[in-house]
Amino acid sequence: MSPAGRIRGGKLIAADNLYTAILGLALCIVLATAVFVAYKCYFQYGTFYEIP
Amino acid sequence: MSTLTKILIVLLTIASIFLCGIVVTYVANADNYREKYTSQKSERDGLKEKTVSLSEQLNNKIAEKDALEDKLNREIAALNKQITNLQGDLKTINDKNQILELRVTDMASVVETSAQTAGTNGQLLKETLVELNKLQSQQIKLSAQLDDTSATLLEKLAIIQTLETEKKRLTEEKLELQGRLGKILQPTGKAPAPVTPVTPQKDVARPAPVISQDIALKGLVTAVDLKNKMASISIGSADGVKDGMKFHVTRGDKFICDILIIDTDTEEAVGALELMQEQPKAGDTVSTNL
Repeated sequence: MSPAGRIRGGKLIAADNLYTAILGLALCIVLATAVFVAYKCYFQYGTFYEIP
Repeated sequence: MSTLTKILIVLLTIASIFLCGIVVTYVANADNYREKYTSQKSERDGLKEKTVSLSEQLNNKIAEKDALEDKLNREIAALNKQITNLQGDLKTINDKNQILELRVTDMASVVETSAQTAGTNGQLLKETLVELNKLQSQQIKLSAQLDDTSATLLEKLAIIQTLETEKKRLTEEKLELQGRLGKILQPTGKAPAPVTPVTPQKDVARPAPVISQDIALKGLVTAVDLKNKMASISIGSADGVKDGMKFHVTRGDKFICDILIIDTDTEEAVGALELMQEQPKAGDTVSTNL
């Protein structure tokens, strides 16, 4: 698997690393959302899970 | 990497971005229930304190109301006692009032009887006064007639006395003439013939009838001075008025007063008012005879 793009049959084909980066971006977005929700829960209710 | 894997990666990424965006938007716009809980709790605590303070005030007001009610009840009891006493006094006063009303009724009947008696007496007094006025008028007329008769009598007595003197003188003269004639005829032996008077002698002397002298002087009152009780009339010495004459003042058929003349002038005379029944005024008739 090479990160360089390849041309297959006259078409420009993206490298596999690009999809890995997109997947990492999605993971980062999910993590940031989880952190933001945790932050909001902790500072508004004082806990992550329980109902005060 | 297969194409299907790539498509799934892209779809997973897009779905992740979309769902995370929704979650972030919801969480960012969600209400802060803890802050609301805190504020509601503090507000509830404040209301609890306020309720406690209001309860204390209510208890104080209730205590004041009870004290005031006790005080007013005592005052009401005292006033009820006063009302009872005043009702007793009122009853006593009503009894006295009834007794006094009975007395007033009796006195009213007595007063009514007295008023009727007074009215009757007043009527009798008026009638008596009217009769007295009539009698006074008659007395004045009779007095005037008596004065005239007395004056006439005095005049007649004076005339009689003069005539008696003249008669006595004539009798003496007659006796003397008869004596002289007897002396003259005595030498010739003749006697004088008895004297036959021309005037026949009346047998019985009769009293002369009362003649009221009718001077018939009439005039008018020209001025009256009630302060000095003096009046002036419109006739004087030229009409025969003399001092001391008495004039009667009349108004229609009504006798007013008398005027005794004390000063005369040619065309008027002044006199004093006497027997005044009413106040004379200028224009009243004056005459010597009524």
